[in-house]
Order: sequence, then C-alpha cells, then structure tokens
Amino acid sequence: MTHRVELRWSHGPGAGIEAAPTETVLEAAERAGVGLPFGCRTGACGTCTGRLTAGDVRYRRPPRALKGRHVRDGFVLLCIAEPRADCRFDVGTEVQSRLVSNPWTRG
Amino acid sequence: MSDTSSSKSAQHGHHDHHEHRGPGYSTPQEAIEQSEPEKLAYVPSLYVGTDVDAPDFLSVVDLDPESPTYSQVVDRVEMPIKGDELHHFGWNACSSSCHVEGLDRQYLIVPGMRSSRIHIIDTEDIRHPELVKVIEPEEVFEYDLSTPHTVHCAPGGRILISMLGNADGDLPGGFLELNEEFEIVGRWDSPGDIGMNYDFWYQPRRNVMLSSEWAAPKTFLPGFDLEDVQAGKYGHQINVWDWEEQKVIQTIDLGEEGMVPLEIRFMHNPEEADAYVGAALSSNVFRLYERDGEWHAEKVIDVEPRDHEDWDIPVPGLITDLVVSMDDRYLFFANWLHGEVRMYDVSDTANPRLVDTLSLGGMYGDIREVKGRELVAGPQMLQLSLDGTRLYFTTSLFSTWDNQFFPEEGEKGSVMLKVDVDPRKGTMTLDEEFLVDFGESPEGPARAHEIRWPDTDSTSDVWI
Repeated sequence: MTHRVELRWSHGPGAGIEAAPTETVLEAAERAGVGLPFGCRTGACGTCTGRLTAGDVRYRRPPRALKGRHVRDGFVLLCIAEPRADCRFDVGTEVQSRLVSNPWTRG
Repeated sequence: MSDTSSSKSAQHGHHDHHEHRGPGYSTPQEAIEQSEPEKLAYVPSLYVGTDVDAPDFLSVVDLDPESPTYSQVVDRVEMPIKGDELHHFGWNACSSSCHVEGLDRQYLIVPGMRSSRIHIIDTEDIRHPELVKVIEPEEVFEYDLSTPHTVHCAPGGRILISMLGNADGDLPGGFLELNEEFEIVGRWDSPGDIGMNYDFWYQPRRNVMLSSEWAAPKTFLPGFDLEDVQAGKYGHQINVWDWEEQKVIQTIDLGEEGMVPLEIRFMHNPEEADAYVGAALSSNVFRLYERDGEWHAEKVIDVEPRDHEDWDIPVPGLITDLVVSMDDRYLFFANWLHGEVRMYDVSDTANPRLVDTLSLGGMYGDIREVKGRELVAGPQMLQLSLDGTRLYFTTSLFSTWDNQFFPEEGEKGSVMLKVDVDPRKGTMTLDEEFLVDFGESPEGPARAHEIRWPDTDSTSDVWI
C-alpha cells in the first residue's frame, strides 16, 4: 500500500507523489522526478529538512541533525523519513533555514 | 639544517634539493622565482542551500589580464549529483613529492562536505578540466568517516584528507588517505585519536602535523546554534601529531579565547616551527610554535568586537580564513562578519604588526559595491599570488551559516574580488575593475568558495 504525499514550497506550485512503504519521502520524490534538497542522506546535515503539517513518519535511522525543539515543531529529515500515512510537508531551503537563525540579532 | 634532535628530521635536512624531477619546487623561494603569474583560477561553486535544483560545480575563472575573457567564468565542471557542498579542495601532488619522478600536479581532489563524495578532476587541459573519478560516500563510510574537508598532497604521491565526523556525522573525526591512483588506502589516524577535526598542515622537517577543531558534522552542518557553543559542542583545541608515527603527541587547549580554531597556516620555510591558526568565534589569531620538543600557543592578534544596533552582543570579526605569503613576510586574514581584510607584517612571528586593512562588504565595510554589484557578505576565502602582489577572495562561508548571517549571499550569489598588494610598502588597494559575479551562473545565483590555480598557490605546497 502506498501513501499519498503532498509537497508544498513557499514559492510556486506544490507536487503530489506516491510513496511505497519502504521508501523515504526523498526517494519517492526522486522516483517521481520531483527535486527536493538533500545533502548527506544519512540524517546528519539537515539539508533536506521539511516540516510535517499532516500525517505521520517513521525514521530509518536517528535524525541526528534535529534537536528536540525541532522535532516538537514538526521538522522532519526527508532523506530518512518513511511515510506511515498520507502526509503533507512544507519543503524547500526556506524550511531548512528556520532550524536556526542569527542568535544575536534582536527581534 | 634542522636543529631538532630527531634522526628523521636530520635525514630530511640532508636531502638534495638540486635535482628534483617531480612536481613543485625545491624551495618556496624557487616557487616565487620560477612560477608564472596565475592565468586561471579554479573555484568551487555551489547551489546547495538554495532552491536551485542542480549540482554544485567547479568554475574556471580567467585571470589573464591580456585575455578578452578576463575575470569571466570560462568553463564549469558540473558534479554528478547535487547536494555536495563543495568547499575546500587540493592537489594530488605538490612540492612535498618533488622527488617522485613521473608524478604531476594534475588532479584536483574536490570533496563534497555534505555528501562525503570525493571527486577527482583532471586538469591536463587547464582551461577545460574533466571529472575522471568519483569516490562514492558508501566507500568513505566503510572507514567510519564522513564530511571530508582539507586536502593536502603528502610525500610519495599520497593524499591526506581531514574528515570531520564518523559515518553517522557524529564524533570522532579522523583522516582518510588516498594513493596515487585515488584509491582509499585506509584511515591514516587511529579511531579516537582525536574527537573534533577541521583543518591541518604538516611540516615534515619538524616531524609534526597540527590539526584544528570545528564541531561534529551533525552540529555545524544544520547551522550555527548558540546552544551548541554553550553545551561545549564546538572546538577550542589544537592536536599536535607525530607526522611519521601518525599519532597525537600533544593537545593544546586554546580556552575561551580560542573558540572554533579553523584554518592553520604554517610558515612555508620548511625549517620553521611556527604556524598561525585563526579562532573564528573568539576572533583571535594564535601563534603555534615549538620550543624544546613542546608545542605552545600564544594569542598574538585580538580582533575587537564591534557594537551594532541590531545585535544583543558586540559583533565578533569572525576570522574565517588566513594566508601567509610565500616569502613568510605577511599574514592576511578575513573578518567575515565585520567585512575586513587585514595585512600583518610577521617578520617577527611572535609580534605581528598591522600594516594595512581593507574595509569592504560585511556589516561595517566602507566599500559596499564593486562595478555596480552590491556586496552582501564579507571577504572570506583568500588566495595570494606567489609574488605576494595579488590577493583574491570570495564571500561565502558555508551555505547554512551564510543563510543565518548574510541571507542575501544565497539569493544574489557570491563575488570574487582582487586586491593589489604592495609588499614593499605593506599596502592593499582594491582593484575596482575586477569582479567575478557568481550571481550570473547559468542555473541561478551560486556561492563561491576556495580559490586555487594551475601550479602552486600560497596554501597548497609543503616542502620536505
């Protein structure tokens, strides 16, 4: 059984793909010819960070690039996350850049 | 002649430099005398950290003032897969293999920091280099290493690469050794010799290698989080290695004033036991030197933080790169956040003397645009011509860190600029006619990082 995955960028149209039970979101996107950012593909670098807005995922290996606060806020590493249900994600570089900001600037 | 008591050093001291047949030069002075002025530069160029759905590439920049395509990107070598974060790179062979007959300085080893993929690029046709081999991440992970950074050509045609983490992107890091055929020989260190890793430089006549510390890949790759500094997850140590034995013999703690020591530059003179390291976060330069068999660190330059109305704390300079001139007379470094390049007279290595500064880009730079192109980040990676008269730099630090501190760098792309240096008078002047704008790259604005060129530059070669 596959899961329906909706991908939304902050700019431009979104994309809908199908993910097989053993596929990560990134693998499913690549199979569908949809370009998502990625780097290490091992959960260490956070380049592929998306944010889960509906659904559920299971990790293949620990999401080391994410801290507790990121996980609680719904951030997900798409290179190692397999959908467990139909899902919706915010994706793109802008989502990654929300993990950390300039710690010293006001406001 | 070396004055150390080590027999290995003594042997090196005796070796005959007059008839080398391999790559490079007999001495730094010979490199200055005999090398041609640089006519091309290779510059890693990045799409990682932007929404441009394309691989990173290596740019070939025309540096020949006589050429009609001067200061333009004249070729691009695209990597096979996106997401690398090309960063630092290095040659297969240099002056440290000057007796290896038949070996040429021809291949660039170009690692992807995020991907752990290592690319081998053949520059036989210097204007049109070609990707000829790829070491896949899975091969690297087999040695429980990841996140390749600095590449140094080692004696005998070997290649050494600092690796910043284990296969999971956690600690410890280590070193990966390649042979002349670009096959992995194995792990150069013993796992656990060090925790964190970053840059390194070796000085064979002193039988020493020094390595610095950034953080675990999982810590710095997603971006700079102050919580990690407070939790002690960023480095502040220098590891001192016995070069021949491949073992750590001493660890120097730079303390609070030495947070995040990054680039290490040894004096080029192979007899010298003096090096500099820039502590990025503390924004201090330390001199590292050997006396009576022990290595010591002393802070020799302290960059004052500056107030800014939008910041809660005074802004650190963030010393990100440094370069020592081939004649060992000058040290240059970049304060990336402030927007400044500094030039110091280091003829007295313990007492660097500030001779000139260039204020450009960054948060406080006086010069805000070049040839009508707005500067949206500070000077970063530096490279100096062998005669010490042309200093080039690019403006991107690291994709995720750029996005925090200078987000426009990703949106507009990096620039490469040139500074005319007068080594006799100790002055720097921006060349206002020179601009390479990576914002005009074909798929969209790209970042640009380290600079090298055919033949040697001021940060590649080591002399045995």
